[in-house]
Amino acid sequence: MAALVTISSVCYRGVRPLLFRSSSLIRPLAVQKDRDCPYLISAKIHATPSNYAYSGSKAASLHWTGERILSIALLGLAPVAYYYPGPAVDYSLAAALTLHGHWGLGQIVTDYIHGDFKIKMANAGLFLLSTVTFAGLCYFNYHDVGICKAVALLWSK
Amino acid sequence: MALLLRTVARQGLCLSRSQFGVLYRHVVPMGTTANEEMNKFWAKNTRLNRPVSPHISIYKWSIPMMMSISHRGTGVALSSGISAFALAALVLPESYPYYLDLIHSMTFGPQFLAFSKFALAFPVAYHTFNGIRHLAWDLGKGFKIPEVYRSGYIVVALTVLTSIGLAAM
Repeated sequence: MAALVTISSVCYRGVRPLLFRSSSLIRPLAVQKDRDCPYLISAKIHATPSNYAYSGSKAASLHWTGERILSIALLGLAPVAYYYPGPAVDYSLAAALTLHGHWGLGQIVTDYIHGDFKIKMANAGLFLLSTVTFAGLCYFNYHDVGICKAVALLWSK
Repeated sequence: MALLLRTVARQGLCLSRSQFGVLYRHVVPMGTTANEEMNKFWAKNTRLNRPVSPHISIYKWSIPMMMSISHRGTGVALSSGISAFALAALVLPESYPYYLDLIHSMTFGPQFLAFSKFALAFPVAYHTFNGIRHLAWDLGKGFKIPEVYRSGYIVVALTVLTSIGLAAM
């Protein structure tokens, strides 16, 4: 894991060999002929090693895309709720609002909370909060007037 | 720096060929992921109990900075409000119209009602309009600094106007 591999300078051969990641680029560290450069000038970069077989997960980027799609859906729900209030929109709003909030608060946890145990606890608490929120909103939609009607009533006075 | 330049010059390099601007002679890939590096940073610094350098207490605040944290702040506030509402729905015995009438019987005049409508509408409007601004950024649009400021001012103006409009309804 810690084996250092020296890739010859991009400037030496131009860009194309780097793009194709041919193994002939890999040279042992021992080959070092600089005399007026006694120490190695190296820059550390975060690069996927050339022997890395693509087995990474797309979960993070799919999550990102899901967040944006949900935001757009929520944006579209607002005028629908105004012009066509009713149970379908009520439950859709309950789901969209809860999930949007859950994912948003999840980003805050990721940004500010560090340490494996604390992260796990925070996410567990968040999951509980979101579950209770969704349950409460669905209960309100079923047993009480529903979200659209509630906003209408609130604004009527 | 001079050593670096001499080393580069020694190769007989033509700078126009280094399309990536890589002037280092050797480029070494790291064995850890960025996430692992971030966790290592926090683990080491909390273990050594190091103080954090002043950052938000000394850096000059800018409009984009304030709008960004306000977006997060309104998001947290709205989410908390929704959760509180949902919890109340589960816990409180009476129905929503009952509690609404209760609040209305206690109000201190029409200005109070208009103000509370404004206070409710403002974070919703701000978060919504700034959210659209975020979505535009996600499409890659509007990153130039003058554009960032212009879109920011438009969001604030729309927020105020919409909140006033909604409070008047």
